[in-house]
Amino acid sequence: MGRFNCAGLTCPLSTIILLFSWIFGPSLGSELSFVTCGSVIKLLNIKHNVRLHSHDVRYGSGSGQQSVTGVTAVEDSNSYWSIRGTRDTWCHRGTPIQCGQEIRLTHVNTGRNLHSHFFASPLSSNQEVSAFGDEGEGDHLDEWTVQCGGSVWKREEAVRFRHKATDALLSVTGEQYGRPIHGQREVHAMASPSQHSLWKAMEGIFMKPSENPAGSRDYTHLHTEF
Amino acid sequence: MAAKGMNLCNVCCLLLYVISAVLAGRDFYQILGVTKSASIRDIKKAYRKLALQLHPDRNQDDPKAQDKFADLGAAYEVLSDEEKRKQYDAYGEDGLKEGHHGSHNDIFSSFFGDFGFMFGGNRQQQDRNIPRGNDIILDLEVTLEEVYSGNFVEVVRNKPIAREAPGKRKCNCRQEMRTTQLGPGRFQMTQEMVCDECPNVKLVNEERTLEVEIEQGVRDEMEYPFIGEGEPHIDGEPGDLRFRIKVLKHPVFERRGDDLYTNVTISLVEALVGFKMEIVHLDGHKVHIERDKVTKPGARMWKKGEGLPNFDNINIRGSLIITFDVEFPQTQLDEQQKEGIRSLLKQGSVQKVYNGLQGY
Repeated sequence: MGRFNCAGLTCPLSTIILLFSWIFGPSLGSELSFVTCGSVIKLLNIKHNVRLHSHDVRYGSGSGQQSVTGVTAVEDSNSYWSIRGTRDTWCHRGTPIQCGQEIRLTHVNTGRNLHSHFFASPLSSNQEVSAFGDEGEGDHLDEWTVQCGGSVWKREEAVRFRHKATDALLSVTGEQYGRPIHGQREVHAMASPSQHSLWKAMEGIFMKPSENPAGSRDYTHLHTEF
Repeated sequence: MAAKGMNLCNVCCLLLYVISAVLAGRDFYQILGVTKSASIRDIKKAYRKLALQLHPDRNQDDPKAQDKFADLGAAYEVLSDEEKRKQYDAYGEDGLKEGHHGSHNDIFSSFFGDFGFMFGGNRQQQDRNIPRGNDIILDLEVTLEEVYSGNFVEVVRNKPIAREAPGKRKCNCRQEMRTTQLGPGRFQMTQEMVCDECPNVKLVNEERTLEVEIEQGVRDEMEYPFIGEGEPHIDGEPGDLRFRIKVLKHPVFERRGDDLYTNVTISLVEALVGFKMEIVHLDGHKVHIERDKVTKPGARMWKKGEGLPNFDNINIRGSLIITFDVEFPQTQLDEQQKEGIRSLLKQGSVQKVYNGLQGY
């Protein structure tokens, strides 16, 4: 690359622009820096380096519902979870998730929601976390609150998930299962925050906020008898 | 027979035109088939439609196919970028500051995925021995407004991509039977793990933007695949990413095929003497309704052409069917008003008793 001559004002401007693109270019926030509604993502437990996972295998104890585990593999389509609003609060596709917002995490392949309740987890006797429901609809025990630092859930950020009904936090403490899910870690909920309850959005398909087509209106003033 | 002066003039004009056409560069608006005031959505829609038609794999007989396709890519690259479009509008193609950076492949794959141009054969025709990553099927919720007018949804796909790493790794590991000779006439068969040697790869997370089109008239459960954008496989090919359309319920309109149904409540007075009103449609345009006769509760009005566009031919539209119901006055009537109504309406007592549930 040869020397380039810059004249007067354009030189510092172009170096500033170059500097900006060098700083912001390689960072993953360049396209979309926050997690939005409708996005389908993999969640990584930072302390134990496993991804939140579910499958058509039920717990042999506790509630007997579909199990939720942590897996070490990066490529596993059973680790995708869809971020959705709750039944009471509709969440528009593409809107950023606010810190403190209530959401549901729906397991894409089985259509069941991340769920917790007062049952003991099989290995550590913490609070059991399962996958419950049918085609994305379960009950109020599917609701979780996103706990994060700023105003919206940033992709780069480590966040916690607090179960709305029991106030417990989604965590992993390292216990491993044997057959038939050898090596997978137990995922449970615990009362107090720790390094074990930090999660981060990793791979996935993130919905960008989109422009509504012309004519879209707010209909909330209409019939309320339904 | 034109005068010689005229001929010369014509030739000069033609020459001037050709020169200016060549110097001015390509007409990107014409290549995409859009007007100068086209919105970014119109441009994306035009690109997507033409890219499928003009891809060289689909036009193997046409020697100019590569050029036409390259022109299409250049046109989209400029017109889809606000800055570049402004420069192009002001100065033409030559006025663009730099050469084209993004390869056309990048643009094409943001609409269709990495291996999007598998027109001739399906993926099944590929060698079945190549292992494949899982497909990801993702529900995409769309509003009825988007079904009516169309829309583009941008999504950011972050996925692990195999990148070269130093050294070698073991791949295609399999069990094989080995026969060893222990002595004359005595053999032993043992199972052994045999692996090939492959160039080492490591998985690196990369991301790119994909453009999903919500086509006008799209129906529930229709899928938009992006080839190769699914789950990767370290020893083979990635699976596909498929967006499955889920049309959301609308508070005003109900969809049945290409027809739209809606209900309007009118007052008793309006039902008896007539009325004029407007219904705001999904794209904001107003549908005018007028009645001057009596409107019975449950009466239906058909508005042809005010339904949804048909997915296969957007020039055909369904109808809007409006069902009216009547709201009676809340206040009770006094004796004088009752007399007034009896004499005004001149309708005798009816009092017919019948089974309304079995359709008699």
